[in-house]
Parts: sequence; structure tokens; C-alpha cells
Amino acid sequence: MTTLTTTSAPTAPRTSRVRRRRAYWPYGYMAPVLMVLGVTFGYSFYQVAHYSFYAGSVGQLVWVGWANYKELFHDPQFIHSMFNNFKLLLTVPIVTTLSLSAALMINTTFRGLRVYRAIIFLPYILPATAMGLSFSYLLQGNGVLDSLLTHLHLSFLIHDWLGSPSWVMFSIGGVIVWQQFGFGVVVFSAALLAVPQETVEAARIDGASWWVVQRRILIPQIRRIIEFFVILQAIIVLSSVFTYVYVLTGGGPAYSSSVMEFYIYQNGFANGSIGIASAGAVVLLGIASMFIALYIWNRTRSSKITKVS
Amino acid sequence: MALGIAAVPLSGSAGASSQTKLTFWFWGESDIPGITTWLNQRVALYEKANPNVKVAVVPQSNSTIITSFSLAAQGKTGPDMDTQWATLPTLQPALQGSVTPISNYVPASETKHWLNVNENSYKGQIYAMPLYLLGVPLVWNKQLFKKAGLDPNKAPTTWTAFLADCKALKAHGITPFGMGNQDGYFGAWMFAIYEKQQLNTISQLSQGVATTGAKRTALLKSLTAMYTMFQGLIKAGYVNSNVESLSLNQGWQLFPQKKAAMSFTTDGNVLAWAKTLGAQNVGVGRPPIWGTGKLASTYDATQSSDEFITSWSTNKAATAKFLAFLHTPANMMALYAETGAFPADDRFPLSRVTGTLPKLLDGLDTSGKSVWLENYIPPQIDTNADLPAGQLITSGSGTPAQAAQLWMQQIEKWQLQQPVQFQLFKKLASAS
Repeated sequence: MTTLTTTSAPTAPRTSRVRRRRAYWPYGYMAPVLMVLGVTFGYSFYQVAHYSFYAGSVGQLVWVGWANYKELFHDPQFIHSMFNNFKLLLTVPIVTTLSLSAALMINTTFRGLRVYRAIIFLPYILPATAMGLSFSYLLQGNGVLDSLLTHLHLSFLIHDWLGSPSWVMFSIGGVIVWQQFGFGVVVFSAALLAVPQETVEAARIDGASWWVVQRRILIPQIRRIIEFFVILQAIIVLSSVFTYVYVLTGGGPAYSSSVMEFYIYQNGFANGSIGIASAGAVVLLGIASMFIALYIWNRTRSSKITKVS
Repeated sequence: MALGIAAVPLSGSAGASSQTKLTFWFWGESDIPGITTWLNQRVALYEKANPNVKVAVVPQSNSTIITSFSLAAQGKTGPDMDTQWATLPTLQPALQGSVTPISNYVPASETKHWLNVNENSYKGQIYAMPLYLLGVPLVWNKQLFKKAGLDPNKAPTTWTAFLADCKALKAHGITPFGMGNQDGYFGAWMFAIYEKQQLNTISQLSQGVATTGAKRTALLKSLTAMYTMFQGLIKAGYVNSNVESLSLNQGWQLFPQKKAAMSFTTDGNVLAWAKTLGAQNVGVGRPPIWGTGKLASTYDATQSSDEFITSWSTNKAATAKFLAFLHTPANMMALYAETGAFPADDRFPLSRVTGTLPKLLDGLDTSGKSVWLENYIPPQIDTNADLPAGQLITSGSGTPAQAAQLWMQQIEKWQLQQPVQFQLFKKLASAS
């Protein structure tokens, strides 16, 4: 009894200590990743933020405080670039609608399905330089598209698709839609394959039409994937469209197709003005972070709703 | 001369027993195809004549030569000699103490033969050595001129004559002028050729960039005038309609394809196109005169890039000796033979140039003072103002006043963003 008393008495604190220790274990497991992220992302971000308060090139930096940020929002090129990024956000609903529609249509088994999917996905894996070269021949004034329109007696539609400031953002947007479409189809097809077939079959037995099955069963079931795709596409058109602009137009004519990334590249690399380029990068990161925050908020909200229900 | 230079024992750290290693950051291939082969052959000859010297050639890219050298200059480590774009990209690091004047090591009796040294001179010192000259003539297709009822052997020398020729060509369904401006270079060339024609001195441009007030206003006014002339050309339909979606290189292809009757191009292109069209069908001349400034009579040849000795090189004398060796008549003749480019040396005999067109081009390049105005503006202003301002005109999205205003805006931005470079530029501008 005594023994029991003496041995059992310290058990509770020891257990709680072990539990407390265990509560820290996940952080230990995460530590290597956090360290790598800290070095690769944290340090880089610190450097970018630090440089954004300086003017000049590396080795000749001069402290200018907030002047780069003030300059940025007074620079018509940056403002125009930012608006171009926002204009490209219009491609997000287009890509989402087109790829979701295509995924729903091919969400059935038919002969050559795999080949068809591969063809749809092909543009997504094309090298940017090859894509840029092809589309510049296709879209240039008197290029392939214009020649085709002439042959079809549609000369009134002829434009210098890449050389006209009025049309260039539509052309770039079109190329983005064309390339991201395949990615969307693959993402949505994969999500649709994960939907339990019993639900669909039950609905069909209850007499639901093809349209009702898509609208009431399949689309709601992959809602979270759609949300993820929309946010991802929004982040892509805000911060990953440099390649399209660089290979198709080089930001021209006269900055009319410049986007924030291109502005950062031109100032940081071509001009060696690391300060204003860094300030631009901080602003871009801030805008992209808002979309990431929106995505996290939406995910948290939906998981809370799921738990309650 | 070659033997003389090669045989002289090297001074400084180059002793008879120890070996001197010279590192050369070299670029030129995309400007003058074949120049790397020529250089490697010269290095082999030099090393054979000077067994105690080794020259390591490190190829560079034209897109990174400025940034690579800037990084090397920060640490004061890197090559003994470097290739750089002529004028500001050479003179700015020179004023920062990263370049040793080559005239300190190569005697005036030698440098007096080098052409276009004014592009890299400051306060009486020559900072870099030219190797070749790139001229920018007006080229025309004689067959298309004939088709339009024009004299195929007569180049338009005045702007009025040029516009009259354009009108006649257009009336016959021929695109008068073929160029590309997707990359902004057609606009930049118009600036280099025609803004210059309004100036009496280069200082007018430099002062307009470096100072404010009347000089800045004068620059704004002259740029507006130049872009108004440029806009007139576009609006009249005298330039290919797809000029804005073709790069300079793509736009040039219209000429050998007989889709355009005239163009501005480089010597090398003229010779290549003459092979396609037949030399007898190609005419070359100076760009038509539009401006009334004293510089209007100068030609548009440039050394494009140059070679200089770095300030941290421990073998400056040996480096200078090697560079001077490249200018010996035998090596200059070999340069012409290998690349077809005209050497930037007045000892190069015109007799070596055969054929009417090459003779004409060489004659233009060496005819007197030449100015390529683009070399005299900071690279950032070239990229951010010169190139897009021309695009405003060719794309029809801006007025001449807006194009000139873009310059003013970008000059202000550059002054704020590059305070050190701005101070150096002011120093250069006050000396010019």
C-alpha cells in the first residue's frame, strides 16, 4: 500500500510532463523545414525589404527611406503594370469556366479519353520560349491569324494583336487562357474522379438529369478544389505572368503590356536599380498575400462549417 | 610592327622566367560573327611569340557585360582587360576608378591610328581601344526604285527627297521603308540618327540630361520635333504596317525579301543582303539629312564595343602590349578577312576591300567624324525612355509631346534611382 502510495503519487506530474514534452515534438519535426524556409524565404524577404529603402546599384547603395514606395505610386509605368495585372484577373473566371466545363464533359469513359486529356494538357507543358515564338508569328501584324482572317473575308477583324496597345493585353490574356486551360482540366478531372460514384448513381436512380447531376452533385462536391483553383489562378496572373509578357511583347509597345513582375525585372536587372525593384516586389508580395489570406480564411471557414454540420 | 611589339620583353611582373597570365573578358560574336575565332588565332600567335605570356579569353554575353563588370569592379577582382559598350558604359566605370586609361601605356604614335577614339576619351585621355567600326547606312533596293519610276542610282540625300521617294514607292504598292520596333530599336535608331542632326554638340544632349532649366527645355523641344517628324513618317504609311510587332531583326528581313524598298541597317547586313539580291541591285548612302544642327553632317558609325585595361590589373603594361598587338596591320587585315567588319584603324589599307559595296561602306565609316548618339545617354535612359518613346510613335498610342515627356520623366527617375551614376554623368557632361 505504502509502495503503491509512494509509486503512484508522482505518476500524474510525470505524465503531464511527458504530455507537455510531446506537445513540443511536432515543432521539433518541423524545425528543419522551418529553418530551410527561414533561410531561403525569410532571409530573402528580409533582404528585399531592406533594399527597398535604398537607391542605386549593389555596392553604391544610398539610404532613401520611403522614397522608393512614394516613387512607385507616382510612376505611371508601375501603376499601369499593376492595372495590367488586375486586367489579367479577368482570365481567372474564363479559365475556370472553360476548364470546368471541359472536365465535366469528359468525365465519362469513352474511346481515346487518355489521348484527349493528354492533348488538352499539352499546352501547359510547352516551353515558354516555343510558345512565345509560335504566338508571335501567329499574332503579329500581317501574321498567321491576320492572313487567315483575310482568307475568310474577315479583314475588318485584322489587328496588330501584339503591336497595338489596345489589343495587346487581350492577346496576352488569350495565351494565358490557352495555356492554363489544360492545367484546369487536369485538376478538375482528378477532383471529379474522387467523387463517390454512389452519390451520382443514387441521383440518377432518383431521375436526376445530366445537367442536375453536374449542378447539384458534382460541382458542389468539388467546390473546394474550384476555390483552390480560382485562388491559385489569381496568384498566377498576379505574380507568375512574367514569361508570357517577356517572350511575347517585352512589355511593349511603350510599357502597354508591362506587368508588376516585368517592372521589377526591368528595374532590378536591366537598370540595376535594386531599390525600386525591391519596393515593387514588396508591393507585389503584399497583393499576392491578400489572395493567400483569402484562401486560408475560406478554407478555415469551410472546415468550421463542416465540423458544425 | 607586330614583330616589334611581340619581341619587346615585358615589363612589370612579367619576368623572363616567370609566366604572366592575362585574363580577357571578351565579347563581340553577336556584333561581328567570327571575331572570337579571330581573337583566338591572335592569342595563339601572341603566345607563340611571347612564351612567357598566357592569355585566357573568357567569353561574355552582350546582355550581361555591364552587370558582370560592375560586380567585378566592386570587389576589384576580375579580368586584366574587358570588353564594354562604347562611351558611357566605359567612361562611367572609368570615372569610378575601375579603368586605367590605355593612353597611359600605349604611345600616341600608336593611338593616333585608332578610329573613333573620341567615343571613349575624357579630359584628353583615351580609356579604351576600338577594334572595329559598325556603320549604319541607308540601304535601298535599286530594282524597286526603278519599278517606282525613281532613279535607281540616286540616294535621297535630303528629307524632302526621301519623302518624295517614299510617296512614289507607296503609289506603286511598294512599302517604302522596312523596319521593326517591337524591341524599340527602330525608335532608338531614329533618335541616334535624327536627334543628333538637330544638335551642334553632344554637350547639348548631355547638359539636357544632367541639368534642369533652359537646357532641359531645349532637349524636350528638340525631342518633340524629332518625334513629330517620326510620327509623320508612320502616319503617311511609309513604314511597314506591322513595324510594332516585328523586332529590329525581323523588320530587316523585309528588305532581302523585296518587301521593302529602303531600310537603315548595319554594314554586315548590307553585304549579306547583297548576296541575296545581287550587289548591283543594292545601293548604300548616308541617311537623308533632316536636321540643321552642326552634327547633321556627321556619319553614324560607332566602334560599338571597346577593350580596356582594368585598374586592378597587376599586368597593365603587358595587357596594353597585347591590346596594341591586336591593332597591328596584319591583325587588322586578318580581322577583316575573318569577319568582313572594317577595322577601326587608319592603317588598314582600302585596297584590301574589294567590291563596290564594301568600298562604299568602308568609305562612309572612315569619312570623318561619326557620332552614334545612343552611346551618350545612360543605359537606363536608353532602356526606359529611348526605346519606349519610339514605340509610342510607331504604335500610334502616344503623341510626340508624350514621347518627349517620357524622356523627362525617366531622366528624373534615373537621377533619383542612380544618384552615384548621376553624379558621374554630371561630371562627364560638364567636361563634354
